[in-house]
Amino acid sequence: MPIEKSDLLQGTLDMLILKIVALGPVHGYGISLRIRQISKEVLQVQQGSLYPALHRLEKRGWLEAEWGESEKGRQAKFYKLSAKGRKQLASEESTWNRLAGAVADILQTAQ
Amino acid sequence: MSWWKFLFPKRASDAQMNSELRFHIDELTDENIAAGMSPDEARRRAMLEFGGEEKFKEEVRDVYRVRILDASVINLKSAFRFLRKSPTFSATVILTLALAIGANSAVFSAIDAILLRPLPFPDADQLVRVDQYNPKTSSPLHLVAPVRLEDWNRLNSTFQALSGFSSEDVSESTGPLPERVTRAWVSSRFFQVWAVSPVLGREFTPDEEALNGPAAALISDRFWRRRFNADPNIVGKNLRLDGHLTPVVGVMPPAFLFPDREADLWCPIPAGLSYGQARENNQFMVIGRLKPGVAVPQARANLATVQAQLGRQFPKSDAELSVGIEPLKETTIADARRSLWLLFGSVTLLLFIACTNIAALLLSRSAQRQHEISVRFSLGAPRGTLIAQLLTETFLLAFIGSGLGLFLAAAASDIFRTLAAQLPRVEEIRLDARIILYSLACSVVVTLLCGLVPAVGGTRRSLSAPLAQSSRSLVSGRNPLQWLLVGIQVALAVTLLAGAGLLLRSFQQLGRVSPGFDAAHLLTFQLGMQWGETGDMKKLHQFTDGILETLRATPGVDAAAISVGAPGVPFRYQTELKVTEGRADTEPKIVAENRFVSASYFATMRIPLLAGDVCRETDGAPSVVVNRAFADAYFPGASVIGHHVQSLNLGYSGAAEISGISGDARETGLDHLPVPTVYWCAPHAEPGTFFLVRTRNAPMTMAESIRQRLHEIEPQRSVYDFAPLEQRFSDALAENRLRTVLLTFFAATALSLACIGLYGTLSYNVNIRQREVGLRLALGALQGQIVKQFLRQGLGVSFLGCLAGACLAAAFARVLSGMLYGISPTDSVTLSSVVLIVLAVAVVASLVPAIRAARVEPMNVLRDE
Repeated sequence: MPIEKSDLLQGTLDMLILKIVALGPVHGYGISLRIRQISKEVLQVQQGSLYPALHRLEKRGWLEAEWGESEKGRQAKFYKLSAKGRKQLASEESTWNRLAGAVADILQTAQ
Repeated sequence: MSWWKFLFPKRASDAQMNSELRFHIDELTDENIAAGMSPDEARRRAMLEFGGEEKFKEEVRDVYRVRILDASVINLKSAFRFLRKSPTFSATVILTLALAIGANSAVFSAIDAILLRPLPFPDADQLVRVDQYNPKTSSPLHLVAPVRLEDWNRLNSTFQALSGFSSEDVSESTGPLPERVTRAWVSSRFFQVWAVSPVLGREFTPDEEALNGPAAALISDRFWRRRFNADPNIVGKNLRLDGHLTPVVGVMPPAFLFPDREADLWCPIPAGLSYGQARENNQFMVIGRLKPGVAVPQARANLATVQAQLGRQFPKSDAELSVGIEPLKETTIADARRSLWLLFGSVTLLLFIACTNIAALLLSRSAQRQHEISVRFSLGAPRGTLIAQLLTETFLLAFIGSGLGLFLAAAASDIFRTLAAQLPRVEEIRLDARIILYSLACSVVVTLLCGLVPAVGGTRRSLSAPLAQSSRSLVSGRNPLQWLLVGIQVALAVTLLAGAGLLLRSFQQLGRVSPGFDAAHLLTFQLGMQWGETGDMKKLHQFTDGILETLRATPGVDAAAISVGAPGVPFRYQTELKVTEGRADTEPKIVAENRFVSASYFATMRIPLLAGDVCRETDGAPSVVVNRAFADAYFPGASVIGHHVQSLNLGYSGAAEISGISGDARETGLDHLPVPTVYWCAPHAEPGTFFLVRTRNAPMTMAESIRQRLHEIEPQRSVYDFAPLEQRFSDALAENRLRTVLLTFFAATALSLACIGLYGTLSYNVNIRQREVGLRLALGALQGQIVKQFLRQGLGVSFLGCLAGACLAAAFARVLSGMLYGISPTDSVTLSSVVLIVLAVAVVASLVPAIRAARVEPMNVLRDE
């Protein structure tokens, strides 16, 4: 069953976006595609949350954006990670891992 | 995030959002087609999946908008809370700013009304004042002969029209008592030039402008209201002007104040009048309206060509004349420009001082709020947010201050009118949207000037930790920035005080000037007269003698005389003179002021006669008196008495014998040295002639009995414009007084602000160093040492400020040159006394906190720990 935004932990979408963008400059459509593919269709991001999130991250200076041509020759806005964003991603990743690890420990131990 | 990015955030443009959205939908469509849908269906599904276009844009826009709006509201709320929490501090800042911004807006409203706005006529930049003058004499005889005005109108190619006018006083006698009114005679093309129509009634008809046409008068709004109570049926009613019935044909709009604000009515003067035909009969002041797109230099060149042509045609009267053209606005404003900019400069300095003062206050405040700021930092507030909040607090104070300041600005018109009624366009000063906008802009500038440094400095993260500790330590750090601000205040105050001091001293010097005549106990007034009366000189002579005899016979009057132009009040009538006996070509040309007086003038004014006799009041061979400056300049070492002089520009005077030499008197103004002057004995009064009466008691007490005496012998004439001569001096110096009074006021305010700033900063310093002082006293320091230490700190800064201020004052001294009399702009006495005054004030302001510091009870402060 696909998980939609409301089920995503607050702040998780930002981290996912940063992670995808970290792989290389990519446009909004590509990000939604990648999240779907990599999560094997479990995570579905609504455009209504994706774009505000992208703009929010850009405004905070974690993403940088520039206009370029897509593979099919269309004008698209490509996002890439800034140095600040890379730092942010690293810290969010480690927090997430610690949290996920702790939750997993509790789930296993309590069984 | 840097704070400036917070103030000016990035925004997503609509076009960019559109293309980002379109790209996404296009890609989705492609995906759907690949899944096997028809292109139309694929697109429809893609749009459906994406959701509403506007919703998307709104959501993206929200990212940029929500925080700013929320942040401002939150900041404002907390700013109000801050204001309520510290009412004394807020009130001090608000009042200081209300005074500073209010005074600034007030002076700006005068500058706006007088200098910046166009004159209140349609296309006023096309209006120019046109003068004729003889370049050989230094002062222009700018009036123009009517016949020459007609020539100019006929021959030029750059003017839409030129119109002339002359004004005179007449008696209007339809009321119970004759009333003196000012009438302007206007030539044809009057309405073409002014482009102003009557608000009531009609313009003059061609019939009325023609020779022997029906009489007609347009009246001013002021006269209409004063005399006729704004009667809407005024058109068609008759006035009786010097006995002639003249119907009112219309009322002019209130803003039409020309030739000046005294004008009561306008009557047409026909071009074909016989006395207007003489080319020497210069009587019109001329205003022209340029054709659209014509610049003033073009018009100058054009009229110069026209006048050169007239010079060839009429070599006797026109060859030596040049034409001067100046924009009407410039001639109207005249000398007010320099005074107003001087005032604006000083009031802006005052605003700077106020800003510096408040910046210092805010600095000490932000040091006190260090704790609050550190807490907010540790809770994760970005620095930009904190700076924005501190700036919002400052802006709120400045905004309220500028709002209160508007009350001061609203009084500007009355203040300027009281101080200098003669200031041009003073009635146009008013509070309007421009002034409100200006004072709002002031509050923004003030916010940045006095809020930015404390806000940025107070939120420096690296400082927050050590500062938080310092309040607990026994020895506090120094605050170089605060002392710098105090120094700046002192320096600017010294600059303003030096300016005010120079103006005051020059006023004092003017008071000490010996004018060469005795101005005390002199009453001056005028009598209603008409130019028409000057046709019969013999009758006029008898009439004038009769008046003077009546005056002399009035009890309490010692002497009486007449003079065209009041002595000592600026009035110039300079011409070139020729000596009939001949002079060598190598000798300088004789140029002198002319005064037309009765023979009794010298005795009445107590101007001593140094040699020879007073001029003879005969209608036969005329004689003149010259002053010593004339004799010394043109007849050095030779006898001047017995020579004959003739004026080249005064049409009616023949050669006159020099019968005597008088002492030098400052005829052309108290602030002007006596110039070579010729007194012509003209024993007949004219319109504009002043009657001078030497009284035994206070001059004005005689006014009523003189009025009654004259009414007995001349019941039809109005007697008006009574004023002691000294009053006229003071009126002539009104603009001088305006800038002196206002600058002194600004300087005094500046000094008290600087004094408050010094006191406040030192008090604050004393407060935060209480523990240190307590400890030192406990260890055996003497109270005197403590006082001396704080006093030295306050005085040291003041002294450096004074030095800087003295340098500034010396650098700006040039601004004042030309406004000063009898004193150099870098007068060392003034500068050093200003510095002494400021230092004395600084001692008082420092002594109070210093003594308080020394009175600290060591046990109390140390126990507080």
